[in-house]
Amino acid sequence: MQNKARIYTVSQVNLLVKVALEERLPSRLTVRGEISDWKLHKESGHCYFSLKDEDGILPCVMWASSCRSVKFSPEDGMAVLATGHIDVYVAGGKYQLYVERIEPEGVGALQLAFEQMVKKLAAEGLFDEARKKPLPEYPMRIGILTSESGAAIEDIKDSIWNRWPCTRLFLYPVPVQGEGAAQKIAAALRDVNRRNSKLSLEVLIVGRGGGSPEDLWAFNEEVLARAIYDSRIPVISAVGHEIDTTIADLVADARASTPTKAGVVAVPDMQEVLGRLAAIEGRLAGEITAGLELAGQRLQTLLASSVFRNPLLPVRNREQELDELQTALTGSVREMLTRAQRKLTESYEQVRKIEPHRLLGRKMVELNNWQNLANSGIKGIINSCRMKLTAAANRLAALNPKSVLQRGYSITTNRKTGLVVRGLGDVEIGDSLITELASENLIESKVTNKVKS
Amino acid sequence: MADKKQKNDISKMSFEEAIKELTSIVGKIEQGQIPLQDSLEQYERGMALIKHCRGILQQAEKRIEKISELEEKSKEQDG
Repeated sequence: MQNKARIYTVSQVNLLVKVALEERLPSRLTVRGEISDWKLHKESGHCYFSLKDEDGILPCVMWASSCRSVKFSPEDGMAVLATGHIDVYVAGGKYQLYVERIEPEGVGALQLAFEQMVKKLAAEGLFDEARKKPLPEYPMRIGILTSESGAAIEDIKDSIWNRWPCTRLFLYPVPVQGEGAAQKIAAALRDVNRRNSKLSLEVLIVGRGGGSPEDLWAFNEEVLARAIYDSRIPVISAVGHEIDTTIADLVADARASTPTKAGVVAVPDMQEVLGRLAAIEGRLAGEITAGLELAGQRLQTLLASSVFRNPLLPVRNREQELDELQTALTGSVREMLTRAQRKLTESYEQVRKIEPHRLLGRKMVELNNWQNLANSGIKGIINSCRMKLTAAANRLAALNPKSVLQRGYSITTNRKTGLVVRGLGDVEIGDSLITELASENLIESKVTNKVKS
Repeated sequence: MADKKQKNDISKMSFEEAIKELTSIVGKIEQGQIPLQDSLEQYERGMALIKHCRGILQQAEKRIEKISELEEKSKEQDG
């Protein structure tokens, strides 16, 4: 015989399961497991994943509102503690853990989030030393971004003015914890940078007093880190206590471990600077005094030198040289003269030995004799020459044709030809003739006849 | 006349600029490469710079000034 078992609908079964779970399970429980299949649904913001251990899995869902407050980034394989309640997802026919809170196992959520952010930003180079800007050495206009109330602003102000009272401080009040704080601080940083052509701030301090990791969380957020990195004005972080290190501390151009140390980092010590000025003053004065003394000494040395004590010395030296030269000159001239004199006397003696006067006398006599001889000789020669000449002259005179004329001869010349007539050929009948007689008398005649002998 | 002009331009110098020039003056004098007359002038200028620096250091602010977008906007409104 068949038992008439009750027949359930799917929905009834699901409802029964739901009720059973509600009765048997605590309304809230924490489950330890490893994340797998983590999916963030972009449109809704809801997260779907599974928790698993060696034997099985548990489907989970986390609504967007809860997802957003998770500080770290859940990843597949991560061991977590998920807190929530179990319920039946009727439409899917399964039970799920509706997760309200999730935490990494072993390490705090915040700690994990911090480590993840450090890795991410370090990889982008936001912490690089090379990109950190140098701080101004003597800042006179400093901007402070912190809460208006609270101890931090007082600590920062005191630590600065105790050391360097001449600087001006400018406060930009911002919230330093809670929802949206990081965004507001970041906005303030960007605002100050934008307006700095008017503000002329030389360095900025961003900070807050000590607190829990949650209190300090704004200074670990990415938006603030990027605003600090982008700031053209150098930024000093002064957050929390000594042992706290935030992302802001790592990105900033310099870090003060607490707000009370801000002064030490941001400004120099006025006393020390005054001391340096005094030292420079001393050095200057010292150098000038030394310089003047040195110049004075050099002057003294110069004055003491012989050039000044005995200025005419070179002149006198020259004069002495001149005297010596003169003496030398005179001496040698005298010597020359003496030598010349001696030579002259020697020569005179030599000449004297020859007895020139006697020699001269003898020679004069000789000369006279010769002269006489010469004279008579010459006279003789002249006489004989004269006789020869007279004889020659007589002979010549005898040959003179004109003397022939004296004897009655005449010379006849043809007037026309000018030639002496010697033959009949020299004349023609009718020619004029000139006849020269002795004593240059002339007869003119004409040829009338030629007679051959 | 040159003196007055010098004094004016020193009074406009920032602390940083004044210290920088001061250091260079001391260096020059200590190296002994400038003639005595010039070093006397540089000495005077150095003293003036020191006086200016001391003056800057001795002023003291007592109040923190506020800057924020609100402040800026209210200043703009006040005109």
